[in-house]
Amino acid sequence: MGLTDAWGRLAVRHAHVLVAELPGYWMTRVAVERQVLARGWRLARSPADADILAVCGPPRPPLAQSLTRVWEQVPGPRTRVGVDSPRAVLAALDTAAADLLDTAAQRADGRDRTAEHGGTGRGGRRGGSTPDAYGHAGHHEPPHGIPLAAGGEDRDGLEMDLLRLRLGPVLAYWPAGLVLGCALQGDVIVDAEASLVGVDDATTVAADAPVTDDPRRFAARRCDNAVSLLGLAGWDDAASRARRIRDALLVNSDPDRPARELDRLRRRVGRSWWLRWSLRRLGPLDGPELARRGLPATAVGDVRDRLLAMLDRAADGIAGRHPAGPPLRAPVEALPDLVRGWDVATARLIVASLDLEPLVTGREVSRV
Amino acid sequence: MSEPAVTVVPGGWAPVAAGLLGLLAVTAAALDGFLTARATGAGPSGLSQPFGEVARLMRQRRRTTVAADRLLWRTGGAGLLVMALLIIVVVPLGEWTLFDLDVGVVWFNAMDVLAWAFVWLTGWGANSAYSLVGGYRFLAHGLAYELPLMFALVAPAVGASSLNPGAIVAAQRGLWFVVWMPVAFVVFCAGILAIAVWGPFSPALGVDVAGGVAAELSGVDRLRFLGGRYALLAAGAAFAVPMFLGGGNGPLLPGWSWALVKTVVLLCGLVWLRRRLPAARPDSFMEAGWLVLLPAALLQDLVVAVVAAKRG
Repeated sequence: MGLTDAWGRLAVRHAHVLVAELPGYWMTRVAVERQVLARGWRLARSPADADILAVCGPPRPPLAQSLTRVWEQVPGPRTRVGVDSPRAVLAALDTAAADLLDTAAQRADGRDRTAEHGGTGRGGRRGGSTPDAYGHAGHHEPPHGIPLAAGGEDRDGLEMDLLRLRLGPVLAYWPAGLVLGCALQGDVIVDAEASLVGVDDATTVAADAPVTDDPRRFAARRCDNAVSLLGLAGWDDAASRARRIRDALLVNSDPDRPARELDRLRRRVGRSWWLRWSLRRLGPLDGPELARRGLPATAVGDVRDRLLAMLDRAADGIAGRHPAGPPLRAPVEALPDLVRGWDVATARLIVASLDLEPLVTGREVSRV
Repeated sequence: MSEPAVTVVPGGWAPVAAGLLGLLAVTAAALDGFLTARATGAGPSGLSQPFGEVARLMRQRRRTTVAADRLLWRTGGAGLLVMALLIIVVVPLGEWTLFDLDVGVVWFNAMDVLAWAFVWLTGWGANSAYSLVGGYRFLAHGLAYELPLMFALVAPAVGASSLNPGAIVAAQRGLWFVVWMPVAFVVFCAGILAIAVWGPFSPALGVDVAGGVAAELSGVDRLRFLGGRYALLAAGAAFAVPMFLGGGNGPLLPGWSWALVKTVVLLCGLVWLRRRLPAARPDSFMEAGWLVLLPAALLQDLVVAVVAAKRG
């Protein structure tokens, strides 16, 4: 038993946490991320990679069902914790670590799942966290309950398989509450429709106040979006820096250090020829197009331009020059047109480059 | 050749070689954990990362997905480790080698091509859209890195007029090949990063597709795949030493320790590089591979061939 316990403790000291953010709880998610990294834990990229599922905010249908599907895919030993405010994070993660160490309970969980599915840790279907994203079935009985991919004409007018894939709602570096139903040919998005889940009036009374009231929080949100974009661009070092600046803005009161750090990050990102080569010409938008789609004029240029503008806005926020007034409407209707024709990687970069406010603040957004 | 360049040791030393490879892989993982923790700026040092991760994954359940092609999926996941072991068979450690193969360079090349199959099968076998997208991203990278890598390997072979790693080391007694074949060395290092799906070549495991090829791996399957990546990085660095860095040549220390020191230094450099560079998106890297790396490697070969012809 002694060895099993020591083994378990070593394993739990390196736990991986899948963070599911519900609309309106980005500050809670940020606090969870900070605590997770401070413990030497890691953020999981997929349910299969996770030991702990940390749900930020109270899930209600239909998000509750999505989270259940995600939970079914966590291999185990596993534990699920709900975190409703930044203050609750410490206790929740302590509970999670204790749950993971409870060998007897974990064994029982494993037995239950074996009985349920006839196999241990049977995962989800295609698409990881997005299980029910298929086209309709054909005339034949689909193999294993999975409909075959339908065909369609691709960009060159050739017949090519069409696969339906949902991006969101639980996905790293993805706006909470956003779901993008995509039709893929290869990894190119040929069609998409955007919708919001779990975004309604009830969530606006959540723990997080509107973003733009507080300049530091405005700047922190910009940094958080920069974390997503840099993370998606595969530049871990820069993403970590942006994350540290974000956390410093939210936790510390000294404004000088984050401002200096942000300035350094901005220069480093601006200087990187590799990043320029990688992000140039992706998702270009010009003035008239932005106006037509109801997007802010600050989103002009390609993904790299928008990243630099995002960091500049963060610097303005710290300096107290953030734009006043009501938060910008989330441009959900514009998203399908922006990502159509791009591959999944680029589409994710484009969505992240839009520097969205938490979707909950865009209350007048029509639900598709 | 009048005298053999290296001594062949009995097969009983193979476990020792595998153990050395394992140690190198653990070193790489510990360094990566340390660098990650330092960038995070909080929490423990991260040096225990490899051990903690092994403990965690050994404790985790294996999972499977609906209609997974389990045989191919698991073959692919375990394959990277096998590849790394097969590579180090022909790498001389100082004056010793397990297998003094006359076509050792070709052997390395044959092994590195296996990555195409193994990484892609891991992506394919899970029957998951994200994994499959990751698998195809690796193939797209492969189309761009494989030919430059092959031509980069040609340079030291032409320079030494031999495909035998021991003979290539012997040809570097006066001057390391990296000095007059820098382009081939850089392209070769890019190739190592690519077969280990590391750093700029990690979009196949990208966070934007929930971990891509590795999205559905858990427990011991994930351990084998991730361990295989570190082992490949180590094996690639080990192979670069006889090719470009003079093998066991060096003052004072015995040959085997020079070979190890050079391997560790190069390995640490490759691990460190991951944090410094953003990902190379497969479509834009295709341009770079065919328009920059391939012509550069060919020019390097031309220069080396002219020099070798003049000498000969």
